Amino acid sequence: MTEAGRLVPETRIRQLEQHARDIRREIVTMVHTAQSGHCGGSLSASDIVAALYFDVMKIDPARPRMPDRDRFVLSKGHACPVLYAALALRGYFPVQELSTLRKNASRLQGHPVSTYLPGLDATSGSLGMGFAQAIGMALEAKMTGAQYRVYSLLGDGELNEGLVWEAASSAAKFGLDNLVAIIDRNNLQNDGKADDIMPMEPIDRKFEAFNWRVLTIDGHDMAAVVQTLESAAKASGKPTCIIARTIKGKGVSFMEDQREWHGKPPSDIEFTRACKEMDDAEPDCTETEGGRR
Amino acid sequence: MNLVPAKIPTRRAIADRMLQSGGQRDDFVVFESDIGYSTYSYLFGDAYPKRYFNMGIAELGTMAAAAGMAAEGRPTVVCGYGVFLTMRALEAVRSFVCYPHLNVKIFSSHGGVTAAIDGVTHQATEDIAFMTTLPGMTVLVPCDSASARAAFDLCLGFVGPAFVRLMRDPLFELYPEGTEFRIGGSHTPRKGKDLTIAGYGDMVFQALEAADRLEQEGIQAEVLDLYSIKPWDQKSLRESIQRTGALLIAENHQRRNGLGYELAAWCMKEGISLPFAQIGLDDTFAESGSYPLTLEKFGMDPASIVSSARKLIAEK
Ligand SMILES: Cc1ncc(C[n+]2csc(CCOP(=O)(O)OP(=O)(O)O)c2C)c(N)n1
Ligand SMILES: [Mg+2]
Repeated sequence: MTEAGRLVPETRIRQLEQHARDIRREIVTMVHTAQSGHCGGSLSASDIVAALYFDVMKIDPARPRMPDRDRFVLSKGHACPVLYAALALRGYFPVQELSTLRKNASRLQGHPVSTYLPGLDATSGSLGMGFAQAIGMALEAKMTGAQYRVYSLLGDGELNEGLVWEAASSAAKFGLDNLVAIIDRNNLQNDGKADDIMPMEPIDRKFEAFNWRVLTIDGHDMAAVVQTLESAAKASGKPTCIIARTIKGKGVSFMEDQREWHGKPPSDIEFTRACKEMDDAEPDCTETEGGRR
Repeated sequence: MNLVPAKIPTRRAIADRMLQSGGQRDDFVVFESDIGYSTYSYLFGDAYPKRYFNMGIAELGTMAAAAGMAAEGRPTVVCGYGVFLTMRALEAVRSFVCYPHLNVKIFSSHGGVTAAIDGVTHQATEDIAFMTTLPGMTVLVPCDSASARAAFDLCLGFVGPAFVRLMRDPLFELYPEGTEFRIGGSHTPRKGKDLTIAGYGDMVFQALEAADRLEQEGIQAEVLDLYSIKPWDQKSLRESIQRTGALLIAENHQRRNGLGYELAAWCMKEGISLPFAQIGLDDTFAESGSYPLTLEKFGMDPASIVSSARKLIAEK
């Protein structure tokens, strides 16, 4: 049971897990095709992004600028393959377009540019800047009484930026309970273990001290992810921070928890291996009620 | 011109020299903001862990901390990407490094659209404007390994702020080891009599390629490598344009407030009147893509230099 009291049906969970697997496959495929981009942090966030785009967020791919839509700000903009994959699979643009990632004239820029692609709510790629923009979006809703919520995904390394804590202070001051920050706590950043490069723990108590409500979950447990995101979307007077414990590179064994896979594209051989692993991870078709694409 | 393809980018060459120098002198320290595997500063960090400070993803605080240490008299190096060093950390660079004229050396990778693939948030296309505007700042842009290593030695050879723009990807090797470089100096990798193409960094190679093509049309272009942007080599430029009578500036940067603006203002002040044009971003952001295709799309490739050169010569 969740705080909200809704038990997410098992079949729904299985469907969302399937969406997450589809997203992972597209991530690895597009980064392989581009021979450039960030697999690790995209794969660690796949379950969270699948839950947001296929269940939690109030959105309409046919009306990407719908005023009351929920907003998503990918503050760790380098992980845009996960967002591009989710948007395409959700129907914002053709899945085939994913193969244009990082190419000239593509709408899929190396880091997300809001004016380029339907469904992108913010421009990001410079760490800390996305989250700070999310504050403004949530403030706008508070000011006008608009009912949308703002979800922002941050990296744990990103928490090093002072800007994150400026934004966190202001979210509490203005009582932005329409704002949900999700920390992709994969314990890796560019140069090594996040805990070594710049120790940030205790992250939960830091956010609590900044007057946030804090929830900690396993970021790969789809039931927990969906239920917690839903419960976070309830007015409580405080902004909510979800610390999602994740594995960087999740879903491709040789990328899992490896610093090198932060921003490296797979070679042809590695790509074939990754595909084989992802095929093997697919549940037997007869077992899934959600079914495959 | 037959150039040897480079095996390493300038960001790597300067880091290699920094590692080497770390064993020869023990006074300087290195600050990094979690992209040590990209700036290659980790090489120094692995060898001299006590003299290496990885401050996490916190460029503004990193720059201010380096200023604080430099204020104690310690030579400090700060490594990072141009966009973050020259924008997020700009106030620290201006008011707390340059104003007190502290001994901080900034090694700045991903200059211009050499980082094209990562997109605009990672392309430092205004860095030269920001850095050259700061009083007391020395600005260098090496184009190859030898000049990058020399840039390290030049920077660490004086007390005061310096900025070195570096590239993400390897291009070519131009200068033999042992070539002399100096602050305020330049080189002329190609002599010519019909027009002067002045460039720096990667654009030196685009200019050389353009000069090869121009030669086939019977046009002799002189290529000037202004690797020292501030101060820059007025004497060599004056001598060159007096002979050629036309000036084209090629830079991987916004045209506005780049080296071109500086040289144009100087020509006016000196009463030098000649056909003049700029190659660079024309008041626009670039985009993600491959380096050569992005240069082409934004009019900075050899073909664009060639057509611009033709027009200048027609104006003579
Ligand atoms: C302001 C800024 N500084 C540096 C970078 C370069 N950079 C890109 S990703 C990254 C590491 C991010 O680590 P984390 O936030 O933990 O992300 P994840 O592990 O989820 O990929 C760095 C330093 C950047 N994009 N923005
Ligand atoms: Mg991380």
